[in-house]
Amino acid sequence: MSDAEDPTTFSPAEPTTGEEFEPVEVFPDNDDFDLRPGADNCYKCSTCDTNCPVAEVDDDFPGPKFQGPEQWRLTQTDDDYEIDDSITSCSNCLRCDNACPSGVPLSQMHNTARGRYVDEQMSKLSVEYIRNRILANYRTSAWLASKVPRLSTFVMNNSAVRWVMDKTMGIPKERDFPAFATETFQEWWAKRGGADESRRRARQNRPDDADPSDYKVAYFHGCYSNYNTTQVGKAMVRVYEELGFEVVVPEQKCSGTPMFANGMLDDAERHAKVNVSSMSDLVEQGYDAIASCTSCSMALRQEYPELFDIDGIEKVSENTYDSVEYLRIHTDIADRLSEATVEGDLAEEFAYHAPCHGRNQGLERQAVELFAELDGVGIEDVGDSCSGISGTYGWKSEKYEISMEIGQPMFDHMEDSAGETGMTECPTCAMQMEHGTGYDVRHPLELIEAAIVEA
Amino acid sequence: MAIDSELLVVGGGLAGLTTAVTAAREGVDVRLVSYKQSTLRNASGLVDVLGYTPDGEGPLTDPFAAIPELPDDHPYRTVGVDGVRSAMDVFDEVTDYRGGHTDTNALLPTHGGTVKPTARYPPGAAAGVASDDRDVLLVGLQSMTDFDAPHVAAHLEAAGVPFDVSGVTIQFPGDLQADAKVTRYAKLLETDPATRDGFVERIEANRSGQQRIGLPAVLGDDDHDRVRTHLESELGAAVFEVPSGPPSLPGLRLEDALFSALDSAGGSFETGNPVVDYEGDDRIDHVLVEKSGTEVPYSADQYVLATGGLVGKGIDSDREGVYEPIFDCHVDHAEDRYEWFDGDVFGDHPFARYGVDTDDRLRVLDADGDPQFDNLRAAGGVLGGYDYAAEKSGSGVSIATGYHAATAATEEL
Amino acid sequence: MAATPHVLVIGGGSTGVGIARDLAMREFDVTLLEQGNLTHGTTGRMHGLLHSGGRYAVADQASATECIEENRVLRDIASHCVEMTGGLFVKRPEDDESYFQDKLSGCEECGIPAEVVSGREARQMEPHLATDIDKAITVPDGAVDPFRLVVANAASAQEHGARVETHSKVRDLLVEDGEVVGVEVEHDSGPGLRVHGVEGGREEIRADYVVNATGAWAGRIGDMAGVDIEVRPSKGVMTIMNVRQVDTVINRCRPKGDADIIVPHETTAILGTTDEEVADPEDYPEEQWEVDMMIDTLKELVPMLEEARTIRSFWGVRPLYEPPDVGSEDPTDITRDFFLLDHEERDGLPGMTSIVGGKFTTYRMMGEQIADHVCNQFGIDRACRTADVPLPGSEDFSVLRDYMDEFGLRSPIGRRSVERLGSRADEVLQTAGPNPTVCECEGVTRAEVQDAIAQSGSDLNAVRIRTRASMGNCQGGFCSHRLASELHGEYEEPIARRAWDELLQERWKGQRHALWGQQLSQAALNYALHATTQNRDHDPADGESLDFSAFDSGTDDRTTGAAGTDVAADGGHADGY
Repeated sequence: MSDAEDPTTFSPAEPTTGEEFEPVEVFPDNDDFDLRPGADNCYKCSTCDTNCPVAEVDDDFPGPKFQGPEQWRLTQTDDDYEIDDSITSCSNCLRCDNACPSGVPLSQMHNTARGRYVDEQMSKLSVEYIRNRILANYRTSAWLASKVPRLSTFVMNNSAVRWVMDKTMGIPKERDFPAFATETFQEWWAKRGGADESRRRARQNRPDDADPSDYKVAYFHGCYSNYNTTQVGKAMVRVYEELGFEVVVPEQKCSGTPMFANGMLDDAERHAKVNVSSMSDLVEQGYDAIASCTSCSMALRQEYPELFDIDGIEKVSENTYDSVEYLRIHTDIADRLSEATVEGDLAEEFAYHAPCHGRNQGLERQAVELFAELDGVGIEDVGDSCSGISGTYGWKSEKYEISMEIGQPMFDHMEDSAGETGMTECPTCAMQMEHGTGYDVRHPLELIEAAIVEA
Repeated sequence: MAIDSELLVVGGGLAGLTTAVTAAREGVDVRLVSYKQSTLRNASGLVDVLGYTPDGEGPLTDPFAAIPELPDDHPYRTVGVDGVRSAMDVFDEVTDYRGGHTDTNALLPTHGGTVKPTARYPPGAAAGVASDDRDVLLVGLQSMTDFDAPHVAAHLEAAGVPFDVSGVTIQFPGDLQADAKVTRYAKLLETDPATRDGFVERIEANRSGQQRIGLPAVLGDDDHDRVRTHLESELGAAVFEVPSGPPSLPGLRLEDALFSALDSAGGSFETGNPVVDYEGDDRIDHVLVEKSGTEVPYSADQYVLATGGLVGKGIDSDREGVYEPIFDCHVDHAEDRYEWFDGDVFGDHPFARYGVDTDDRLRVLDADGDPQFDNLRAAGGVLGGYDYAAEKSGSGVSIATGYHAATAATEEL
Repeated sequence: MAATPHVLVIGGGSTGVGIARDLAMREFDVTLLEQGNLTHGTTGRMHGLLHSGGRYAVADQASATECIEENRVLRDIASHCVEMTGGLFVKRPEDDESYFQDKLSGCEECGIPAEVVSGREARQMEPHLATDIDKAITVPDGAVDPFRLVVANAASAQEHGARVETHSKVRDLLVEDGEVVGVEVEHDSGPGLRVHGVEGGREEIRADYVVNATGAWAGRIGDMAGVDIEVRPSKGVMTIMNVRQVDTVINRCRPKGDADIIVPHETTAILGTTDEEVADPEDYPEEQWEVDMMIDTLKELVPMLEEARTIRSFWGVRPLYEPPDVGSEDPTDITRDFFLLDHEERDGLPGMTSIVGGKFTTYRMMGEQIADHVCNQFGIDRACRTADVPLPGSEDFSVLRDYMDEFGLRSPIGRRSVERLGSRADEVLQTAGPNPTVCECEGVTRAEVQDAIAQSGSDLNAVRIRTRASMGNCQGGFCSHRLASELHGEYEEPIARRAWDELLQERWKGQRHALWGQQLSQAALNYALHATTQNRDHDPADGESLDFSAFDSGTDDRTTGAAGTDVAADGGHADGY
């Protein structure tokens, strides 16, 4: 199994790159460090600031215009210019990146500044650093937890344990840890027969005149679909096979999103190298890379090429898609859905939240548009606010209240909407939606599955 | 497989949104594609139709009366007075803006201390009209450098406004950082009763009977009407915002209103990825939307280009020339870049007029004056032939040409 | 003659303020006159290079030696004006190897620390250098802010009792009995700090000695007394990039030529320059080809310049001088040395000396020699102290501070503020109330702007050169009105308005040379902000009075303003309305 390698060698207090670490290794091409030229695009309009969900609720955060182009432009030399510590308040939602009418590379600026801050200015022995490192390496914790899923779910949500975690680690006791699946997606996939079985099923569903080479996708399931919301991964496989696509599940690590958000770029790069290496081989063979989590797809598409220089990275970036987006571009899914009817437990009114990282890829309306014509369900967009969790952000005690305040408009709109089921593409947004409203939250793939795949 | 619609609008500013809303209301299957966010958010939120003639005459009392006198190549001449009126009717129907009760321009105070002629204004600015003779107290906030109330008040007085005006600077309740964003002020006023109470108290302490209170445009975002009316009832005075920006909350409220009008009318939209290219000869077959290196086809029967001007980047330039980046439409401009501008900061700048030229159906023309494509129209800032900043005509031209482009395109379907 | 001789120095550039400071420290009674702002002439229009001497090490070793000496002095006495960036003389493959060797040995001969580094090492220092650079020589070049340096010299002179009058144009020299005894000066406003709208007037200032330090304008002063001073003004273009592409001074290692230097300057990089003789230091063509040449030639050293944003260009006029008998054809052949013209010796006109030629880097040394000369006139023997006493702001200070704790400022803004203010930082930045940033591009806060206003009257361009406010990428687009509002605290609205207009016009002047791509987009945005949103171009306060009653006065629902009917009745949330 591709996931068999043991990730437990990881120790949060010690960067695994050890003594050899030098910024120049993260950025082999030295000028990647210098983002001052990116400030050339800024014309100061502040559109980024008006989109920042953090600056709206926390004035200690000076907003993306300052954090990005202004700070970079004021920076004079690489060595003794400090990054303002407010960078740690940025939640990495990257709405600013999506907003900028002038092409300032805000996400790259924030990620790089945060990486520098963590490398050069943050104590590696601080509780905050260790906590962030654990949060950023969710996959490692999840890998351990999945070995004893029921016990993990129980212990992690035990109130005494949570009180201690809040006090000693700064992980808010209010949050519920996600439940761990008793069978990971990868285990299910292997048991089901892996790629061979998928090829067989896809062939059955493909029109005879179809060119099989147009029907090959490599699934990047991400950590959540593997360890927690395995139903999303399964829905992806079944939907794609129904539409004639053979699915492969290559070796993969964490996309790196939580590591970017915590400034741990060398951790992220180690993972990215594995992901790019396995995906680029498949892309060369004509596969497209599909992610069901919008943060994963954004990492592969945008953050990797912005931050790392890895062989094949551009090719992977250009051939990565969100799972629903891909169906809209390459299949007649819109027609299929407009002719379908959903019955059973997904015949619901959905309160849909577009995740920021999906918004960043121009996907904010895809679910609403696709399901508008689907019989048996209703869907309502709950507006353009951020859910507030931003991956690991809402998992920090000092950010918990900010996270909930950012999420409040979304909670309100969900409460105001017709149904009591949420929908989103992002697993951590889903966590926040559940946390704020008590709603059950589904992924669009699950609804597509219910609509077009025979049970 | 292309993502298909009857009408594809490229650009999500005032012109693009007006085009899409107009068409969607006619039942057209319309899709709006916008790269990033538009300059509408930078704008003051006032909707000017025409404040000054191209010769600088004004402020005009009646913008509609002046339209027939404009030069032939002005977009208003393409649309015609009746077209402008119909467009404004649509705008009035889908927004809560004021000013539609008369053809006469209103003069609204600006954060720069002048007054400016405008045809439509948001309810939040309404009580500020300068032809109202009630006294005004302007209240600024200590850290908000964009609106210095005593300075604006003194300037308005110098402008001869027909009311007494004074200005005072107060500290916003709470201990905000000096660089708090406008959205932070708005959020606190919207969600925190203690902030509102403290705000009212501090305004009241500095007031000496003025019936109108002018504030920086930070009175809430989604719930701005409620914030303002709450302040009005607590203060027993008319409250208005003085438009400013960027950043501009009135601008983004208008953007929100238009997107929600588009949603209600059944239009589709998406933002975040640029249209970078097209296929087709005499007709555009489809355009290509770039998504992280992949070009995805979007096809339609009719297309409207509403990508904005030099600020919105619908028109771009380099040392060699000025160009339209998607369709390479012809943009008439001087070869020598030292002829693109005037030496005086507010001189007659040729660059302000650069844009594409169209026929009377707003179809984009090539260098020879023939339609470049059968099915490509242009609206708003990407059009040439007018200096919206000097004329105060930007919003009006966007609305009028957006409406006209939608109507003409719809007739072709 | 008075016990304390009164010396009048004409010219508020580096030379003039250097002389004024020196004389004031030697206890002379000093008056400094400047026709515009301090640095109005050539000083405010230079690339900001603190020479190591390397540029002169082959052709003019005397100058080179002076440069390295003064370079060391200024690092000490003007530490808040100087940034020791280091410099490189970069050799491209097509550049002459023997010249490279001459440069190296020249540096050695002049005592300029110089080392050869490989192309690879050079690129490690400066990653944006072209990949085909052969090698380079490191030298201790630096960057200096001429505005700050001149302002600090003037402030020091004032601390020692000098009177400094800006915007005061000398209209005539007073010559009595064949001797210069003073000047007639026309104050734009004043005397004292410049305030718009305050009536100026003519003043006769008598002096025991006059020093003409007017650089390219020296001939005009000479004409007033009928003496001939043949300054040969030579213009050079400088193009300002929006950001620093390099943090080290980059020189092209080849014999004299145009477009051969990039100087990191504050937040920007400055490309220079050309050398072309002009007839009139105030009126000469500023042309497109000059700007294009900077970019197209210097991109051979730093390729990314091709696509990088420039924010403006400006031209400076070198006040070159050579004794009339030399007769150089090409201005690049004219020496950069300075000449002290004692008009008594030279023209039989006692009471005045002119100083012409010279370089910014050696301004202090020139000041010292002139002051010595003046001392000699009066038989006074007092030692020069300008090389030992730090300028105001350059006393001990550190830029490594906790900016948020100490000043309530974000670290890069605090850092930039302290770099500009030096040892004056605490005095200026410790404020009771909030201290918002007024110019976001350059990180200039209200406290610093107010400090500058206190020094400069109602002149926002004088505030600008002290603080850098409005010198960033938006070129005043977003802060001009804020600066005007800062003035309004101190001055009446019409004064603030005039200063505002003057600033807008000044910012436009240089920006015109950068109007394509990003800066044209910026200019269009600024235009929209100023004209559309602020209606600054049709300000009714500037024109005829308006008939307000002819315009829409709103609808009739006036009791609670105009909003009464719009209240959303949707129940809403429990937030206490």
